[in-house]
Amino acid sequence: MFSRIFALIIRYKTLVVGSIPRLISVFWWPSIQIVLWGFFSTFLDSETSSPYSTISVLLTAVILWDVLFRGQLGLTITFFEEIWSRNLSHLFITPLRNFELIIGLIITSLIRTVLGLIPAIFISMYYFELKTFNLGFYFIIFFFNLIITGWSIGFIVSGLVLRYGQSFEELAWAFIFLLLPFSCVYYPLSSLPEIIQNFSIFISPVYVFEGMREIIIQNQANLSYILKAFSLNIFYLALSLYFFYKMIISTRKSGKFLNFGE
Amino acid sequence: MDSLKLVNVTKLFNNNVALNKISFTLPNKGIFGLLGTNGAGKTTLIGIILGLIDTTKGDVFVFEKKLSEFRYDILKKLNFTSPYLDLPKKLTVKQNLTFYARLYNVKNFDIIEELSEELKISDLLRKQFGSLSAGQKTKVGLCKALINTPQLLLLDEPTSSLDPETSYIVRNFLKNYQNKNQITIFTASHNMQEVEEICDRVIILDKGKLFVDGIPKDLISKYNFENLEELFLNIRK
Repeated sequence: MFSRIFALIIRYKTLVVGSIPRLISVFWWPSIQIVLWGFFSTFLDSETSSPYSTISVLLTAVILWDVLFRGQLGLTITFFEEIWSRNLSHLFITPLRNFELIIGLIITSLIRTVLGLIPAIFISMYYFELKTFNLGFYFIIFFFNLIITGWSIGFIVSGLVLRYGQSFEELAWAFIFLLLPFSCVYYPLSSLPEIIQNFSIFISPVYVFEGMREIIIQNQANLSYILKAFSLNIFYLALSLYFFYKMIISTRKSGKFLNFGE
Repeated sequence: MDSLKLVNVTKLFNNNVALNKISFTLPNKGIFGLLGTNGAGKTTLIGIILGLIDTTKGDVFVFEKKLSEFRYDILKKLNFTSPYLDLPKKLTVKQNLTFYARLYNVKNFDIIEELSEELKISDLLRKQFGSLSAGQKTKVGLCKALINTPQLLLLDEPTSSLDPETSYIVRNFLKNYQNKNQITIFTASHNMQEVEEICDRVIILDKGKLFVDGIPKDLISKYNFENLEELFLNIRK
């Protein structure tokens, strides 16, 4: 089992390290996001007399949202690499079990996300004086909650692409931006219209960002937010894995595995 | 022990019959050919044996184990290559072979060097797979297909993209490899001369049905043709 998971991780590492565009996509975008939002927050801070730092709220939100975004992209892009290289059929005729593929994708996504965030956090700390780690232990909790949301979306999108073809690839990017307005990343849940609030309460990142703001602004942690986020995430991850498994079974029935190579 | 047994294998795609009650058995050891026109169901049949396609009805047994129940145990003993499928292009040949060796839990990576030497691709090991010619890719694909020393090797047109000299080398390699390792090779091909030369038995599919099953020489004399190609072209009329 470990040999096969290790094989997948090494394969994806070799792919990224051996390609400058892929390396850039891992490291460049999170840092660019921080720089853009950092300048914007600095401007807002200088123009307003808010009792709390806009930089802290905005940049922490940007970093955390990027965890979700990178986590999801890290998983789906890694899976798409197998389709793009017409290697999927070869992979599925090896003794690689579905759960080993899933673990391989999750670990690769985790590594890509952490590596991508390191320069972004470095820039935010040393250039914009953001104290990301002031969130302490909660930063780790928020990180894992958001990356799990990313993985759930990743497995849904990967399953759809596997079963219904590459036209669904666009969802890898679109899904996240569809979710963004309802996730309360940059504003509280109460600022949304009531009808949308009724929908947003089922979106797990809402509780992460509400919790984050409460820690930064009021200096207190709300455990109920964390519990709600974890419960929803476990439910969504289980649902997405079930869906991914079903899509593999359905692809076997449809005979599409061989068509990936044609 | 039989290497492969198909019992009434039927496959429907949206009510179109791709395979219709296919039953045959391949003994352990030997080279067997799978022939058929385009759309006859060869690729579907290979996909089913590889576990890539589920049957609508019927069962597949590999080394007397039911594929639907022992998929992962069976896949350890099986391998496949096709010129129509690629390996990751950005990885070097050696990285690709090492990747697959790990997936098959191969302990001794010396097999990569040994197979590369036998297939005369040692000089390609450091090259990216995507930079290789079609013929070189076919040989690397074959090397990948032998990485786990399979007991049942499935091939899809193994010499289709090769020049006559390389085809000859690959054919001889396959014959020697089978002889040395006493494995079963099941190869789909459009090259009748090749099938006649290396196969102990051929199975011909037509419109999803098993049309002919027999020893090439026996079939040629039975139907009174000069060679397998003539038989293949005329037998359906």
